Amino acid sequence: MRFFIGAFVFIVLLLFSVSLLLPTKEKRIFSDDALRIAALSRDMSSTPETYDGLLKLLKIDKENLFREKVELGRDLYFEKKLSNSSDISCASCHVISKDLKDKNIYLDALTSKVNDKTDCVVCHLSDQSATDRFETSIGDGGRENPFHLNTLTTLNAALAKYQTWSGNVKSVEEQVGLSIKDASQMNLSADEAVKRLSLDASYMKRFEEVYGEVNFKNIEDAIAAFLKTLITRGDYDRFLDGDNDAMNKEAKKGLAHFLNFGCKGCHTGVSVGGQSIQKFPLRDYNSVVDVTNSFNESQKGREVATFDFNAKMYHPFPFENKGGFMGKDGQRLFRVPMLRNVTKTSPYFHNGGVAKLREAVHLMGKHQLGMNLTNAQIDEIVEFLRALEGDVVEFNIPSKKGEL
Amino acid sequence: MKSSYMKIFIIIMFLSGILQYSIFDLSWQYFKTAQATHIIGSLLIAIFLLIPYVNMHTYEFMIVKKAKSVSGVLLGITLFFIILSGIYLFLVGNRGGDILGTLSFYIHLYGSFVLLYFLFSHARKKFHAKPLVLLFFALSMTFVDNTYAQEKLTNIKIEEGVSRYHNEDWTSSAKCKSCHEEIFDQWADSNHHHLVGTNPYYMVMENLAGADMGEEFRQWCMGCHNPSAVTTNQKRTTHEMDGSLMPNVLFESGSKRLLDDFKAHGNSRLEQGVSCVACHRITETDSKGNSAYTLKIRDRKKYAFEDSASEIEQYLGEKFINSNPQVHKDSYSNKLYKKSSYCASCHDEFLPDESKRAVVSTFKEWKDSPYNNPKDATKHKDCIDCHMTYLKDGEFAPLKGRSTDGGVIKDDVKVHYFSGSNHFLSGLKSKEHEDQTLQLLRTSAKIDVDIKDANISVGVKNVGAGHHLPTGVSDFRELWLDITVTDAKGEVVFSSGKLQEDGNLGLDARPFMKVFGDEDSKPVGLMFWRYKKMISDTRIPAGERRVESYEIAEAKTLEYPLKAVVKLNFRIYPQWVTDAVKRAYPQLPNPDVVVLEKIEKSFEK
Repeated sequence: MRFFIGAFVFIVLLLFSVSLLLPTKEKRIFSDDALRIAALSRDMSSTPETYDGLLKLLKIDKENLFREKVELGRDLYFEKKLSNSSDISCASCHVISKDLKDKNIYLDALTSKVNDKTDCVVCHLSDQSATDRFETSIGDGGRENPFHLNTLTTLNAALAKYQTWSGNVKSVEEQVGLSIKDASQMNLSADEAVKRLSLDASYMKRFEEVYGEVNFKNIEDAIAAFLKTLITRGDYDRFLDGDNDAMNKEAKKGLAHFLNFGCKGCHTGVSVGGQSIQKFPLRDYNSVVDVTNSFNESQKGREVATFDFNAKMYHPFPFENKGGFMGKDGQRLFRVPMLRNVTKTSPYFHNGGVAKLREAVHLMGKHQLGMNLTNAQIDEIVEFLRALEGDVVEFNIPSKKGEL
Repeated sequence: MKSSYMKIFIIIMFLSGILQYSIFDLSWQYFKTAQATHIIGSLLIAIFLLIPYVNMHTYEFMIVKKAKSVSGVLLGITLFFIILSGIYLFLVGNRGGDILGTLSFYIHLYGSFVLLYFLFSHARKKFHAKPLVLLFFALSMTFVDNTYAQEKLTNIKIEEGVSRYHNEDWTSSAKCKSCHEEIFDQWADSNHHHLVGTNPYYMVMENLAGADMGEEFRQWCMGCHNPSAVTTNQKRTTHEMDGSLMPNVLFESGSKRLLDDFKAHGNSRLEQGVSCVACHRITETDSKGNSAYTLKIRDRKKYAFEDSASEIEQYLGEKFINSNPQVHKDSYSNKLYKKSSYCASCHDEFLPDESKRAVVSTFKEWKDSPYNNPKDATKHKDCIDCHMTYLKDGEFAPLKGRSTDGGVIKDDVKVHYFSGSNHFLSGLKSKEHEDQTLQLLRTSAKIDVDIKDANISVGVKNVGAGHHLPTGVSDFRELWLDITVTDAKGEVVFSSGKLQEDGNLGLDARPFMKVFGDEDSKPVGLMFWRYKKMISDTRIPAGERRVESYEIAEAKTLEYPLKAVVKLNFRIYPQWVTDAVKRAYPQLPNPDVVVLEKIEKSFEK
């Protein structure tokens, strides 16, 4: 009897001491300037405000990005002829308004005589998120993505080294063509696209002006040129450019966590992600007894973090494996998502399995970093992610002849 | 097992139990630990140690007849009752509704003293007892140190944004359902629940406010509509999604979605809007309006495991509350809740600028009305006397029943239908709610009609409402007279207040409402926050009568007798508002026109 009591007490003490041994101190505290230097030295940088800065960032010449081309690309982005049944355009899923300066867009949608928008778009167009906020993308003829993949934002997409969830595509030009041809997206062959545009005299004239002729490569190039101007700037960029007041205290703490915990290892570059392909989840906690988080009081209440017998079906991901997508080569390799405007692009992960940003941050901490982030840390990181939200920069792009 | 061990166990249980006694006024964090220790400890000790030990002991006494002791028999009987009452308290609890619960509580409490007495008188070596008793009393005195009262309670005033909560601090209302099912069901389909993501009108208006005045402006709306989101630093109100579709929550009764969400995510997923704790943890209000209230969500007396995520712990937590629920009652009720000034914190609304122009002044209207009569209690009526009192056959009929499953029977259960004027949105979910609201609406006004020399005069008297008629967002409420006068041949000679083809109110109608205008006195339309000048205000104050006069055009050729049919119509939202909301929510039906009063009268020359 005495032995059992002794053993019991010993085990209880041992278990409770685990939580005492965990480090609670913050790793490093940065001053504002030190934080900026630390961020910049880790390959994070702000987006440009000027046309010249944009050219430098994209490493292209001004012959490749001029007003006529961008405007042609913009019109093609909103062109429904580029889908098989002519009822969707790029902008149907990558929702953005044609005139970003129009502030009355929402009121007009509510009160106009003609109702030309779907119900979601009425409210969400003013978000200017360039995505549809659905779990899975819906293409031509209402066809859903076969892998239940959700729509990625086109904002800042041109800054990424790899495109799409698996990262198989290397440039926006290539992805534009693939999206037009894909059966679950625009579902239109290259020849048909060229044919349809050739029948339109105004497009003919404009292609003539910009490229000399209409061909599929030029269609890709024009839309890609427009995408290259969809660059956002927000509080985070102003902070990196030297404005200490641009980000609030919590957001700065969040940035410090972002650097300290190792998030920046993958979510890096000017686009804060999109620069590499990584495994997800890195750590797999799908064992019979899920005890990963049993003794941390602050973590109570999360479905994946409570002490419980894990009798659930095995999931390769810490959320429902809808669509069965397993990443590049079926190896759970994914392009690291870009975090700019992440607050506007819920639901999260490739199949939209996680609805809330806080839950996504928690899962990333747990499965990629092997950390149980506290509530306060998650709050601060979310506050930092909010600072990554930005408005599309209105670049003053010169014409082909160089006129402003 | 030595009998001295048993004694120590019993004394520990006695102390941990007696510390919960109200005269000790034990600080809360010690109380809840003591309670949990007491209950779990007693269960384990009773089942694994005490009962086998007593069995063996009685066996010696009754069968082997080795020992003979009266105090031992009495001790055994007392112990039996203590264990029995303890088990009852654990499994059923002292919820107030059954006598057995109350009886068990007192047997358990006072029986424990008797138990202790017999325990010492039964002990053979009496000298051991005295130091033990002294020691434990000394120990118990150190526990009574009242640190809680000295702690500074953080007074979170939401509008100043002093501090923030986390999702887990907000207990989901779904949790309250397990013991307060009826009240939960009333609230679940009421307008107080559907203030945010499930209310299409609100969602469209908040978005519009954000688009028009900047994203930050949403907080003005959210202060009253969405306190949980404001205090957790959320920037906007969001709606639920079912995969790629927006769920059709307009017709879903009983808050099924909230219950499912709680099952899947516990408190980690925030319940947006006005939840149970949002109102029941308001500790102070200064009745200034615009969400001027103090919330104490984190700093409340929670029983051990009360908000736990694990099912076993949740089960225990409920048992702990039921066995001694006084603290639970005290922490979620407050005398303040019965006063109208409590409701004022949200039912008075003004523009958040220097002008402080009043947008909604329901509380102020009540304050100046005859219903606010603190000197004469029989004439004084607070908000809850009408809006939280059950109605039957068009009359106030205080509901006799329980607010807690198994709790005491109350003569006037304050129902949580929150009947006001919005019969429409709650009516889509529940007919009971629609019926309660319509009954209340129909107690509000009386009409009379007279025709003299081709002059029709209709009087509308506000007989039932303790505020203007209509009140609230009365720029979005339509209350008007629908008049039809026919002559001897049955031909219509006068008509007013009919709907146009597009559903909007005819231009000849004279709705009782206020109309906001901008600087140039142009109606502000949907954007009531642009209000600068009042264009017109034809609302009817409490107890007052308003007369509308109309002329019949063909006065000379009238053929008497004339027959007048006058209806007092009410529509919760004008058609043009619903039309705008329908752009974003096409599944929204049009609200009905409700006839509040109708009279027919004939007139001779």
